[in-house]
Amino acid sequence: MKLKNYFAMFLMGLMFGAQAVAGTAADAVSVNDPYVRAMPPGQPTSAGFMGITNNSKQDLVLKDAEGSVAKKVELHTHTMKDGMMSMHKVDKIDLPAGKMVMLKPGGLHVMLMGLKQDLKPGDNVSLTLVFSDGSKKQLEVPVRKIQMMMKKQDAKQHNKHMHH
Amino acid sequence: MHRSLLIGVILLLAVVVLVLGLFWEPDKTISPEIAQKPQGGDFTLQSSTGPVHLKEFRGKVVVLFFGYTMCPDVCPTSMGQLSLVLNDLPEEELAQVQGLFISVDPERDTLERLQTYGQYFHSRIQGVTGTLEQVAAVAKMYGAAFRKSEQQNGEGYSMDHTADLYLIDRDGSLHSSVRHGAPSSELLQLLRQLLSRD
Repeated sequence: MKLKNYFAMFLMGLMFGAQAVAGTAADAVSVNDPYVRAMPPGQPTSAGFMGITNNSKQDLVLKDAEGSVAKKVELHTHTMKDGMMSMHKVDKIDLPAGKMVMLKPGGLHVMLMGLKQDLKPGDNVSLTLVFSDGSKKQLEVPVRKIQMMMKKQDAKQHNKHMHH
Repeated sequence: MHRSLLIGVILLLAVVVLVLGLFWEPDKTISPEIAQKPQGGDFTLQSSTGPVHLKEFRGKVVVLFFGYTMCPDVCPTSMGQLSLVLNDLPEEELAQVQGLFISVDPERDTLERLQTYGQYFHSRIQGVTGTLEQVAAVAKMYGAAFRKSEQQNGEGYSMDHTADLYLIDRDGSLHSSVRHGAPSSELLQLLRQLLSRD
């Protein structure tokens, strides 16, 4: 246990030392348009979504998410099972080099269980992404109504069609 | 010796094929695709303001969804989409649409909670539920399904459930369903189509 701690500290030291050269996963990753879904008052659950881009040349791994907004914050996904949407926890989300991974409705998301407050549009929620190298990225995430996101998406699709 | 055996086998096979061809009629009524085609139908469930009968909505277009309020993503996505589409309708058309959110989690979803939930998304969406058996019977009629998820977590259970929206025409007949994740335009188009019928 103790040895492990020293090793971790040594690693941390190495990481800080090498940060200018290699950087941590948290530094190599950029987060695009994060939001947490507004829910009716009194709802105990919600979900966070975002695009996560790995700007480095190495594959990275998102291990966990943290936040004080809910009793439990986990990485989840949806799968179709017997025609039903089934939600379950995932141990990690792979972030391939140079690619953007979307956490979006119906798929991967940051699951918030046991909300400690109502999520109203306009509020901000603090979420932290934890990567496999132990580095963390803290985010201030706005609370939004899903309808607003859909309008945006519809507009995007519309634009796409316009270009063709 | 060998030859006669071979001829015998060939003859036997020929007879089998002939008999099958003449008498084997696959019973089309039990092919799963057709057996499972949902028929829809009337039902009565409970709301915070009393019983809700589908029959009450004759003359209106009804949109059904099976979900539960603690659903963090799928249900709010579908309800958000429905509200977005409803907001695109002119007032006189909107008055002819009723959304019903049927909770598949009556154990935790109280009628008051369902009321708040439906209204949060749109004033035309009503939250209803019944006993598990009643909800299961309605789900079966419409081709929906649900079950308690095997995966438990510290904050309770989640529900697995189908996530289609069902459209019921002015006569109370199940017209069509819209799968989860389909673009809002698909739902709007179908609603418009049903509203344009008298």
